[in-house]
Amino acid sequence: MAYLLRRLLLVPVPLLIVVVFVFVVLRLTGDPVAIYLGIDATPEQEALLRAELGLDDPVPVQFAWFLLDLLQGDFGNSLQHRAPAMELVGARLPATLQLAAMGLGLAIVLGVLGGIAAAVWNDRLPDLVLTALAVIGQSMPSFWLGILLIQLFALELGWLPTSGREGWESAVLPTLTLAVFLLPNFILVTRTAVLETAREQFVATARARGVGSARALFRHVLPNALNPVVSLVGLQLGRLMGGAVVTETVFAWPGVGRLMVSAIFQRDVPVVIAGVFIVAVTIVLANLVVDIVQAAIDPRIRLR
Amino acid sequence: MRSSLLALGAALALAMPAAAQQRGQLVVGAAIFTDSIAPAAGGYNTLSLVYQTWDPLVARDHNDDIVPALAERWETLSPTHWRFHLRRSVRWHDGTPFTAEDVKFTIDYVTNPRTVYVRKGRIAGIAAVEVVDPHTLDIRTTSPAPLLLRGLADIAIEQRAITERLGPAEAARRPVGTGPWRYVEWISGDRYDLQANPEYWGGAPRVERLRIRTIPEGSTRVASLLAGETHIIEEVPVDLIPSVRQRRNLAIDAVESSVSLVLTFDTRTPPFNDVRVRRAVDHAINKPQIHQQMLEGLGSVLDGQLVTRATFGHNPNLQARPFDQARARALLREAGFPDGIDTRINTLSGRYLSDVDIANAAAGMMRAIGIRASVNVVEGAVWSRLDRNREQGPIYQVGWFSVGDADFNTVWYTEASRRNYWTNAEFDRLWEEARSTLDQDARRRAYHRMMEIMHEEVPSIFLFGLPRIYGRSNRVAAGWNPPRDSLLRLHRVELR
Repeated sequence: MAYLLRRLLLVPVPLLIVVVFVFVVLRLTGDPVAIYLGIDATPEQEALLRAELGLDDPVPVQFAWFLLDLLQGDFGNSLQHRAPAMELVGARLPATLQLAAMGLGLAIVLGVLGGIAAAVWNDRLPDLVLTALAVIGQSMPSFWLGILLIQLFALELGWLPTSGREGWESAVLPTLTLAVFLLPNFILVTRTAVLETAREQFVATARARGVGSARALFRHVLPNALNPVVSLVGLQLGRLMGGAVVTETVFAWPGVGRLMVSAIFQRDVPVVIAGVFIVAVTIVLANLVVDIVQAAIDPRIRLR
Repeated sequence: MRSSLLALGAALALAMPAAAQQRGQLVVGAAIFTDSIAPAAGGYNTLSLVYQTWDPLVARDHNDDIVPALAERWETLSPTHWRFHLRRSVRWHDGTPFTAEDVKFTIDYVTNPRTVYVRKGRIAGIAAVEVVDPHTLDIRTTSPAPLLLRGLADIAIEQRAITERLGPAEAARRPVGTGPWRYVEWISGDRYDLQANPEYWGGAPRVERLRIRTIPEGSTRVASLLAGETHIIEEVPVDLIPSVRQRRNLAIDAVESSVSLVLTFDTRTPPFNDVRVRRAVDHAINKPQIHQQMLEGLGSVLDGQLVTRATFGHNPNLQARPFDQARARALLREAGFPDGIDTRINTLSGRYLSDVDIANAAAGMMRAIGIRASVNVVEGAVWSRLDRNREQGPIYQVGWFSVGDADFNTVWYTEASRRNYWTNAEFDRLWEEARSTLDQDARRRAYHRMMEIMHEEVPSIFLFGLPRIYGRSNRVAAGWNPPRDSLLRLHRVELR
């Protein structure tokens, strides 16, 4: 419990740095009022909108107000849509969480199975094929893969819709695209971890005691090899968001990633920060789960 | 006998629209989707969605011509006094009758200095709105306003009772309009679902339901058309046009928009303060070739002037300067640049069709005569700051749209715009005159002269009237015309 609390207390510091960074960079490089009103706006309209949005104070004062509201949990209104920023992000969040969870889940399952297979048949055909696939997967842009999958499954075979978010069918291709984006690392890390653990003294001892190779794998090697894989999940979460943005764009998936990208282009600071906040909190929580899982499978790790 | 025949006729007439309406759903793949369906916000991307449920007083058609909408006819009682006769028996989607009070309310609200409304500048000259009777409305303008009708075409008329009760922002969340489609559901970033309004004054939509989906990625949009998920898509990427054309059941519908893509010079400083250098650039760029290669020959090469052929004010006596490298080099030498010039072209990426490709092609052709131009891609928000500070640099590529009348894009060359680099007193005077008289012949003459001045002075290289390129499935049987102004008009579309 104390551990949990300590972890959560560490969150605000990096988050604050991000908030300052986002605010400064976005506000210094573009004017949301000019973007909202377009090129033919009159100075009167601009002044009015600036006042309405609280943008007529000096930027440092605006930042102080913004921070003050933020500390009270108020992210402010979207400058472009006039609705609470958090509400906009919240409306898009389920689509992204769904995509991320399914993509990551599939990557973990396939990656771990593939990694084990590659390790078991080390240096033989399955290993070579899987390793080659992992390397190809690593170097394949998800953007391109997404379009390729659309070509094959939606156009040639006609099994799945090209895009959108309606019914389970529409989730298949985006999930697959995101999973392939994450998969190679899981295959390679699992493979290495299993191979290294298999070389350990205690495995050799078990084998010498007459433990069968399958039993040795499941009872002795895997529990000890899984730890690096679980840490990898935590490390992949950041990459996951980047992959989600691309996937959402290709498949017209109505997620937070696309909302944030358009908010950045429109200099809609409250929406960007609300999005960053949600993403950061999600990643921190997911990492907590990772830590807890790690402690559960490896008694040497204590949550301190 | 006679009366029963009449009754039968009336019954048939009543039954007709219902019988003609098809079950099913028309699906459109949109390229750019603003995250709002509020009339006060956004550009034409937003207006395209707004006009599914709402109507203006007078409208533009797909050809940019002015046509009756909620007002069925109008007249001018004096040069500053307009009378609009409203369509009778129009009802809002909630069943309440539409009246002149709604129009007055909307215009008063839009023109109120305290209201932030993106397109309010379009009806800036309105001095007063008076309700004569429930179906007659007078608009008075501060000076003769030839652009009033075109301005009104960009203002959605909102229902007074609802907007007053809920406030404009809340009322826009679930639109209750007079338009061809009724609101069903709006999912930001995903889709807009609508249902046919059987009582639409312009005739009930032919298809029962409408879905407008946002598909931001061009190749996915084309894939959705190929897969039969969409019937019409916006903005087919130029490099994918052949893959649509080669399918027997699909077609490309292209139309010239009123967007003129130009390369504008900073004429205030050397080297482009010298008209000979600007003309040299004009001769150096092989416009027909770029047009074929980057736009598949769709849209048009501008006739050596800012506006497209379909725009009011186009001067038929002008032609694009011919591609002539020898002449371009001679002009450069004459201007005192025998060793050429180093310069830069600013452009956005993805705002206009093939924008970066066109800028690169133009830069390559300029290099061939010794003007060593580099292409600098600028992000949108930075761009708008450069624009307002007039800091775009020696050359920048931009698209100015007229929506049918030269007033709307010639403004960017006047002092009134506060965005101009080049300036010309006669041009400014003519622009002011042309927007202050209802005499269309006098206006046309003024624009013809303005086009001449620009042709001579070359404040910009006039490149292309950009096309709008739609993809269409052959399930669309009738009623679809690709719109010059990008607004989707779908209530007459029939599916087979």
